[in-house]
Amino acid sequence: MALLKVRGLTKRFDGLQANSEIDLEIPEGSLFGVIGPNGAGKTTFFNMISGFQQPTAGTIEFAGTDITNMRQDKIAAMGLVRTFQLVQLFKDMSVAENVEVGFHLATKGGVAAAVARLAWFRRQEAEIHAKARELLDFVGLADQAEQDAELLPYGQQRLLEVARALAAQPRLLLLDEPAAGLNSHETDALAKIIQQVNGQGITVLLIEHDVALVTRIAQRIAVLDFGCKITEGTPDEIKRHPDVIAAYLGTDEAAHA
Amino acid sequence: MPSITELAQSLVNGVGIGLVYGLIAIGFCVIYNASGIVNFAQGVFVMLGGMFTHALLTRLGLPIAIAALISIVLVALVGVLVQILIISPMWKRNAPLFAIILATLAVQLLIEQIVILTMGDQPRTYPEFSLGGPLMLGPIAIDYQLFWILGCGALMVILLTLFFNKTRAGRALRACSQNREAAALLGIPVGAMLMLSFALSAALGAAAGILITPTQYTAYSVDGPFGINGFIAAIIGGFGSAPAALVGGVLLGVVQSGAIVVFGAGYKNVVALTILLIVLLFFPRGLFGGLGKRV
Repeated sequence: MALLKVRGLTKRFDGLQANSEIDLEIPEGSLFGVIGPNGAGKTTFFNMISGFQQPTAGTIEFAGTDITNMRQDKIAAMGLVRTFQLVQLFKDMSVAENVEVGFHLATKGGVAAAVARLAWFRRQEAEIHAKARELLDFVGLADQAEQDAELLPYGQQRLLEVARALAAQPRLLLLDEPAAGLNSHETDALAKIIQQVNGQGITVLLIEHDVALVTRIAQRIAVLDFGCKITEGTPDEIKRHPDVIAAYLGTDEAAHA
Repeated sequence: MPSITELAQSLVNGVGIGLVYGLIAIGFCVIYNASGIVNFAQGVFVMLGGMFTHALLTRLGLPIAIAALISIVLVALVGVLVQILIISPMWKRNAPLFAIILATLAVQLLIEQIVILTMGDQPRTYPEFSLGGPLMLGPIAIDYQLFWILGCGALMVILLTLFFNKTRAGRALRACSQNREAAALLGIPVGAMLMLSFALSAALGAAAGILITPTQYTAYSVDGPFGINGFIAAIIGGFGSAPAALVGGVLLGVVQSGAIVVFGAGYKNVVALTILLIVLLFFPRGLFGGLGKRV
């Protein structure tokens, strides 16, 4: 069954067609990749799905509910959680606190509850703390838990963003170019983490410029170019597809290939 | 030249009023950090705190503790109303920040007029929370009310710090202040958080007004001076943490109080604004460096 259904999704900025009638279905439990050259409209596509930008036309359905034009926090509350191409951490918080904020949706109660049900509240806080440690352990940041998030090296900031997104307990995790700026060692570690997340039953939609990473880990791949979906298939089909080779290498090279 | 006794006495008085400025300053910081808005209606909350408490004491004959608590809740509701009726609609229509800030100034003038029409323009006051006093330390008199201000002020700062660091809502509010978009995408309702910041900030202002009224008076017109002094304290502290704002307030209160003794009452604001300019010249981001760091 499709967890995410996108129909005719279109975005126009004054005269520029950023996305044009994109149709896509992401099966529940899959690890799905979207690739395309720079400027192909990958991030615009992502922004519309996560409620960050409103589409000009088209519909987005998540778990059977129409989420087109829904507010970002409500989309997140339904279990669709994203990360950013440029890391967006809470810089004045510690590494652990960043993940603890991620648990916002999984926890209950405001100030009144904190005062009225102190024991329950303390237990919940202790639980969040423990769970945050588990997630940091999972992405390999347990030793840096008390550090300021801002001081982490770039590759680790990305991992922290993934841990924070996992804290929000997504059904569908959207990763926007998670390997951008990572070296090959860090990319390998990230690929392993993404596969483990998917192995736990979380559907993953991965948007990447790095074709090698996507063809290695994704089960199915869609290719965008000039704002249109040009094809979709298994990694092997995509690697051999003439339009994909053309989009990435230019038509001349494709003709010689 | 004033005597040592006079200076010491002015120091004590300055700490009292300074703590109140500090509480108002924290109110400024809470809203500013959550939204980037400088809420010039902050002084109104201080004035309403005193006015409501006076009304509940005299008209309904309630004990001070209950009158104070009810007033704080009522003023917090006023804060929420301001957010729902004025700030939120402008925010949703993407009004520029300066237009929203100007709107808060309009709210201040509007509420002042409503207070004159409904409660009159006469200044009023009520007794200190504990009878007796002042406590004499040699020649220096310390009002019992100063201890109430100290105790309640310290309690509020501790509770606020716990709230921001240890509770779900507090963490969410900090997350919004650092990165609204990332917060929303983790499922934090940014609009509700802005409402919470107005409620919190109004409650702090009201508490400040309730605590200071017995040592002077309250009237429709006290909101302006309290608002400005709280704003100056917030800038000196750097629009950052609650303790920084409190330090800014105490510094301002002590300097003003000293200026009255040394130069005369007319120089109170001259000295306060001079201090502000000096701080901004040497520490353009405030004493603790938080100003303009974020939002």
